[in-house]
Amino acid sequence: MKLLEYKAHELFARFGIPASGGPVVKSAEELAAAAARLSFPVVVKAQVETGGRGKAGGVKVARDAGELLSLGRQILSLQIGGQPVSALFLTARRDIEREFYLSLVLDRKRKRPVLIFSPEGGVEINETAEKHPEKVLQAPLDPRQDVEAPLLAAVVEKAGLAGKAARQLEAVVENLFRLFRQYDCLLAEINPLVLDSAGSLAALDGKIEIDDNSLFRHPDMSSFRDETCGEPLVLTARQSRFLYIPIEEAGNIGVISNGSGMIMSSIDLLSKGGQKTACALDLGGGATADRIAEAVRIVLSNPAVKLVLINIFGGITRCDEVAAGVVRAVADIGDRTVVMRMEGTNKDRGVAICAEAPGAIELVDGLAAAIEAIGRRLPVPAAAARREGGT
Amino acid sequence: MSFLVGRDTRLIVQGITGREGTFHSAQMLQYGTKVVAGVRAGKGGTVVEGVPVYDTVRQARQAQAANASVVFVPPQGMHEAAGEAIEAGVPLIITIAEGVPVHDMMDLYHRARAAGVTLVGPNSFGVISPGKAKAGFMAHAIFSEGPLGIMSRSATNCYETVFMLTRAGIGQSTVVGVGGDMIPGSTFTDLLPLFESDVQTECIVIIGEIGGSEEELAAQYIGAHVRKPVIALIAGKSAPKGRSMGHAGAIVSPGGEGSAEVKERALAAAGVRIAESTAQIVQIAGEILAARGGGRSGGGRKG
Repeated sequence: MKLLEYKAHELFARFGIPASGGPVVKSAEELAAAAARLSFPVVVKAQVETGGRGKAGGVKVARDAGELLSLGRQILSLQIGGQPVSALFLTARRDIEREFYLSLVLDRKRKRPVLIFSPEGGVEINETAEKHPEKVLQAPLDPRQDVEAPLLAAVVEKAGLAGKAARQLEAVVENLFRLFRQYDCLLAEINPLVLDSAGSLAALDGKIEIDDNSLFRHPDMSSFRDETCGEPLVLTARQSRFLYIPIEEAGNIGVISNGSGMIMSSIDLLSKGGQKTACALDLGGGATADRIAEAVRIVLSNPAVKLVLINIFGGITRCDEVAAGVVRAVADIGDRTVVMRMEGTNKDRGVAICAEAPGAIELVDGLAAAIEAIGRRLPVPAAAARREGGT
Repeated sequence: MSFLVGRDTRLIVQGITGREGTFHSAQMLQYGTKVVAGVRAGKGGTVVEGVPVYDTVRQARQAQAANASVVFVPPQGMHEAAGEAIEAGVPLIITIAEGVPVHDMMDLYHRARAAGVTLVGPNSFGVISPGKAKAGFMAHAIFSEGPLGIMSRSATNCYETVFMLTRAGIGQSTVVGVGGDMIPGSTFTDLLPLFESDVQTECIVIIGEIGGSEEELAAQYIGAHVRKPVIALIAGKSAPKGRSMGHAGAIVSPGGEGSAEVKERALAAAGVRIAESTAQIVQIAGEILAARGGGRSGGGRKG
């Protein structure tokens, strides 16, 4: 789960990292109410999960209330990286002397947290690492220990800070690591970490990503999970404990399966055949007829989906349950079709149930046969199939 | 021969009194696995499926000379349960749960190494040596005994492959569910030496997927140390960047790190045969085994 910026600032503040405060507004009315209370200038920041909002016009400075209202309304109407801007963070402007980059990231390769620091903040760290690798400090940490003194000293040296600011930087590093561990972070990034004209450090912008699997022990964060999700069908599916994954905007096939691996394999084979997948839904284990029917309805509620591929393979999945659910869901499917492949217990009964249903369901044996059936129903230009297939 | 689990395995089931734990204990016993003890705090002295239950892993291990444990507890309890098994010195710990916090796994990963014990999973179906023993929840009817060693991040892709292999008369030596999480207790690289030295295994299959660097690390190891033929499939070629595909670990970073292309290139450079689909794994395995002369399981088990 990626936190919106204002939530990241709240967490920074809670862990003793100087951060930005200010109201968060979600409508023109809230904006007007805030405008009456604020002192100017104010920085107006679009709250979206994706990066690149500055370039997209999502961050502006308002010098007075009138400007705040017009800029605020304008930013609220933006789409940034395909996501609507649902909230604005209104915060005081700082005079900046220097900008640094600081992050802690969970490194899968090393199986450890890694600290990354650069004296050049405000730019993507990958850019700095490419152009000036000598400027980037990277150090793996022991997940069970505090940050060690020699590493803190190395960060301070890299920053070129002394005195009060140096002590402040050490504290920011230590506190960010406390936050990282306590909140099960995959990423805790401050970019830029700024030194202001008064000689104080503060987090100007931050990204925090929390491991979804840990939300059971962070009830204060789990309520914000849906806030960052711009996809209504993802939320609908989540309420039914399904995972819905948008795949390609230009796609016209919906894939339903009972496992992450099988979903990926199905999409790969479709793509190899020149087809485009619009979305996928993971049923999880042990699906009942009711849940299958619900899953098919959710996928069909995406208007781009012209054909649904159901690919079920599991030792304990009951094919008769799957078939009954699908038959129920396709009653009012219109001119759309379902290509279904299933393997598991009670397969014969499942096949019989499908055979009695109207022609909307095409039952096939095996994944290869499914792809072939889809090719017949949704012909693709031969060139596309060759290009995608690229042997 | 087999490794990790086999006829000598004396298995503990942690969480044996739970619905899944009880059901799969019965399944494992039916398959011939020696399930010698269950563990559930507060239920010591009871019996489940004919298996004595103990309050702690240490008691179970001592009383029954157990040498492996499979952990059937919910993800929230996995850290404590697997930690208890590590402290008790159980040499092989197999974790099943999907949804274990990655910080918990990071901790367990380092503790297991420090203690010198093998941790497998989580988000895994477990380990099976067909015809001998299984520790996990895989539908064992589709497996058959034979020369192919398999390790997989995905349960469903592995089932599909095994199903077709068995139908084609190609059996399996040991099949390991590495699991779909960001930090697996055992990586492909950790397991490769076991497959390489196992006399039953003639050919190794890696079923990988997008995300992380474990396939690239495996490629490095294979290039330097593995003489047996290796086949690999990387699922998720067409997955959108920056989006988790269900497995917590199956995500390509927006910068492209963890992509299928990079993994396939590394593996191919190490001499690994790349399969484009599960069906192609079966085809390539058939070719390799035929070239080696035989390898068919000949009237083995079939589901």
